[in-house]
Amino acid sequence: MGVVAAAEKQHRAWRDLLEERRFLAPALIAPAVIFMAVVVGVPFGWAIYLSLTDATGGSLTGHFVGFDNFVNAWDDANFRRALRNTLIFTFASQAIVLVCAAVLSHYLVRDFRGKWLLRLLIIMPWAAPVALSTIGWLWIFDSAFSVINWTLGHGLGLVDANNPPQWLGRPNLALWAIIIVHAWRILPFALVIFIAGLASIPTEVEDAAKIDGATGIKKLFYVTLPLQLPIALVALLFGIVFTAADLTVVFILTNGGPFNSTQMLTTWAFQIGINSGSLGEGAAISLYLFPLLVVVTILMLYFARRAQVT
Amino acid sequence: MAAPRDEELTRGSQAALTRRDLVRKAGVGAFALTMFGGLADKAFPFYGPLRYKHKQLSGELKILQWAHFVPDYDKWLDNTYIKQWGEKNDVEVKIDHINNALLFSTASSQVAAQSGHDLFQFLSPPSSFQKQVIPVDDIIQEVTRKLGKMTDVGYRSTYNPKTKHYFGFPDNYVPDPIHYRRSLWFNAGIGPKTWEDVRKAAPILKRAGHPVGLGMSNEIDSNMFLFALLYCYGGFVQNAENRIVFNQGANRRGAIEALKLMRDIFRDGMSDEVFAWTAASNNQGFLAGRLSLAVNAISIARAAEATNPDLADDTWLAPIPRGPFMRMGNEHVMGVYVIWKFAKNKEAAKKFLVDQQLGYKEHFLQSKFYNFPVWTNAIKGGFDAIRKIAAQDTHKPLGKYTILTTIAQKYTTNVGFPGFSNAVIDEIFNRYLIPQMFAQVAQGKMSPEDAVSAADKEFRNIHRKWRNQGLV
Amino acid sequence: MEALRLVRRKLGTYLVVGPFAIVLAFPFYWMLVTMFKEDLDLYNQQHVPYIYNPLRWDFWSSATTKHVAFIFEHTNYPTWIANTVIVGGIVVGITLLFAMPAGYALARLAGRWGQSAGVGIFLVYLVPPTLLFLPLSRLVAELDLQDSLASLILVYPSFTIPFATWLLMGFFKTIPQELEDAALVDGCSRLKALRRVVFPISLPGILTVIIFSFSLCVNEFIYAFTFISSSEHRTISAGVPNDLIRGDVFFWQSLMAATLIPSIPLALLYNTFLDRFIKGFTGGAFR
Repeated sequence: MGVVAAAEKQHRAWRDLLEERRFLAPALIAPAVIFMAVVVGVPFGWAIYLSLTDATGGSLTGHFVGFDNFVNAWDDANFRRALRNTLIFTFASQAIVLVCAAVLSHYLVRDFRGKWLLRLLIIMPWAAPVALSTIGWLWIFDSAFSVINWTLGHGLGLVDANNPPQWLGRPNLALWAIIIVHAWRILPFALVIFIAGLASIPTEVEDAAKIDGATGIKKLFYVTLPLQLPIALVALLFGIVFTAADLTVVFILTNGGPFNSTQMLTTWAFQIGINSGSLGEGAAISLYLFPLLVVVTILMLYFARRAQVT
Repeated sequence: MAAPRDEELTRGSQAALTRRDLVRKAGVGAFALTMFGGLADKAFPFYGPLRYKHKQLSGELKILQWAHFVPDYDKWLDNTYIKQWGEKNDVEVKIDHINNALLFSTASSQVAAQSGHDLFQFLSPPSSFQKQVIPVDDIIQEVTRKLGKMTDVGYRSTYNPKTKHYFGFPDNYVPDPIHYRRSLWFNAGIGPKTWEDVRKAAPILKRAGHPVGLGMSNEIDSNMFLFALLYCYGGFVQNAENRIVFNQGANRRGAIEALKLMRDIFRDGMSDEVFAWTAASNNQGFLAGRLSLAVNAISIARAAEATNPDLADDTWLAPIPRGPFMRMGNEHVMGVYVIWKFAKNKEAAKKFLVDQQLGYKEHFLQSKFYNFPVWTNAIKGGFDAIRKIAAQDTHKPLGKYTILTTIAQKYTTNVGFPGFSNAVIDEIFNRYLIPQMFAQVAQGKMSPEDAVSAADKEFRNIHRKWRNQGLV
Repeated sequence: MEALRLVRRKLGTYLVVGPFAIVLAFPFYWMLVTMFKEDLDLYNQQHVPYIYNPLRWDFWSSATTKHVAFIFEHTNYPTWIANTVIVGGIVVGITLLFAMPAGYALARLAGRWGQSAGVGIFLVYLVPPTLLFLPLSRLVAELDLQDSLASLILVYPSFTIPFATWLLMGFFKTIPQELEDAALVDGCSRLKALRRVVFPISLPGILTVIIFSFSLCVNEFIYAFTFISSSEHRTISAGVPNDLIRGDVFFWQSLMAATLIPSIPLALLYNTFLDRFIKGFTGGAFR
């Protein structure tokens, strides 16, 4: 008897504990936080340590050199170019994505015949593994057998078929090629978020707008877009992180060329830290990205909250 | 005692084979087997203890190297060579092949993990990993005792005069000839003997619709060739004492001339494509019948033989054209094995390297003359014998591959010549600073003079860094 | 009049959506064309690239399936696909296991403190991944997971958990508090209410997380390359570029086939789920 009662009591105590917010909340959050601390926190701390040392060739230890790596990295013209490219790459591709997603979502919330098929086609870039689909683009941009150049040159006669534009061979073109490929891949992702945002606009708002006589462009600017803003910010935030931290597209498409003019912070860090063996400096380069992203995120969260309030 | 163990061993390897076959055939259905099979391997190693007491080697030898461009070579290596060697030495050998662009990241990751393969083959001298490997002076001496001196390119790619050790075992190198379309050059009335010839012929060939293809891109072919072009013009990055001399006197003048040459060839004889190339592009352009000249290992010629015999017959090989200072090319790739400090089976790794070098003839043949042994006498009779073997190749023009011997013998050197392939050169190479310099001048973004000064400044920064590490 | 306006409106839809679909799907069409080309046809600049040369009435006779067959017969392609599915599936499971409780707690239980913790978890997502693979490979080796799928299963949640927690947090916030309170009044414990009421309602959100996490796993490339060294343990993103690019030769046709083949079922799957996800996102983050 006594044992059962004691067990019962213990059980009750457990249950009460689980009902207690102060206990339950940390208990539910802790596993995720501990996991992240071990699998991201420790390596991140290690990367910070490496950036302050002269570690070489994959070795995880080195002599302390203070901020030399950060200074050396900054002194390199290729680094500053990579920093600039990262900003251009991120914001240009996100701008394209946002505009296209806003337009497309406007149409895709409607019902029409063939919608399923068209949406399938539109969603494909996001379904393909990015490392492989970028190889597909490499073939499309190929220096000799580019289908784009054949179509523009032999097909339409818009460019010199014997000396067509080299999409990956001129610094500006190559940067645009990278931007386009990345926008291509992120667009379906943003589109999904946008469609969701539109679908969530209450019908009363639509009706009210109709009564007020707001149609077409006017409605788009005064009603639809403002209501979409919070959702657009989600798409933008994830899009920026995906883009700025992306290594694959540049790595496969240009490997930083022509003449290191399309290096990004990620690829340059890889080039220096891994391929050239200056691990400390590579770590420093990759760390330049973190504060940038933090600032962007905090700004956007601030705006998101403001947008939500109004 | 020995008999049951033998049996166990056979049974084990059969099981492994079945598993692999299953996976390949049954695909999705068998995925669980891959996973748990992998775990089982770890739990019950089937190679077991020594079979023969008098043999000193045992256990497992794990090797990582690139996916060879001749797939048949890998097939032979994986299924025949290492099996035979393993049986003879009582070692279970396993080779993994990875894409050559990812050798450095995989190596870094293994060093960071302090665990991985016992033998790791790089395609360029991995001088930045010197602190992570064991010196292999002993086996180099052993091979040298048996085969005589190794070629210079091997010596200067793996010896560090500062530490007085060999940080890697130079196994093979690949001569880097030029491929040219004999008929097109004949029509142009010029042969690609000197760089002046190329400068003169380039516009003619381009007008005929067949530009020359000399890459200036962030990839290995461009990098190797442009380093070599600098030698031809006497514009050396470093001197024999491994000091950066790029901006000094004759070196500076030579480099400027080389930059001007490439600028001229680009303007009149090529198109923007050369800045966009991957390592595959010159092969494809040549195989498409478009390019009239490419600097590349014999993968172009071999691929032409496989797919387009007419083109193959018109594809001739020659040494790199002569410059005003000298005629000298780089190896196309340099196969250097390292043994990590953390390698588990160092003894087997060493024996494997020695045996492979001593029997390199078969490797030379299986790779279709692609890999040359660093100790030329590994093929009995040295270069003369190699020339005779190459002469037996039946592709037209007959005897075209004999020129490889001349190229290997006289016109192939290491990156960083006349100095060593040290960590400074390695970093200059892997940052693509040389293609960057050439491309900037060719696209008119910089004058040759400024480009040399700017490059020199970067070289010195890199040099300072590695001097602080005590490696130069 | 009304009918005419309707027709115009429909036409407008096709005029906008159609071109987008063509442009976005073009690379896949191009993969489809390329994968059946003979080498001599592919590498010829005089040829019209859209057709199989030489052009015959039965155009199929100028094409070949040998490059597609190659990836099935001479590489471990089916194994790579299987590995990808295994890793993706298990990682998605782990992600949900960690992210659902955390997301719920951050949304409902933790108050202001939860807001900051949520931002904190998102910030983890911003840690630049370029060189993290080095320290991580030490971790993987210490646990003796090198060259096994388990290494990826360990590491991938590091980027799926923050993402999933963040999304789920948003979803849970949209569930009316009253529903949960009703369950609590009925005598459910909080955990039971969570299981019985909250999770079922947020199914669209959970589905969203499943699809996103899975696609993040399929896309990952650097870890898959560096932690795994034997071909039969690779995932598709690492295996394909590794075995179909040999030195300076790209096996273009096989590469294209290897890309297209997994893309189609994944796209079908995503599209089928799209309507559900849209519901999911309606409740998404920031709301």
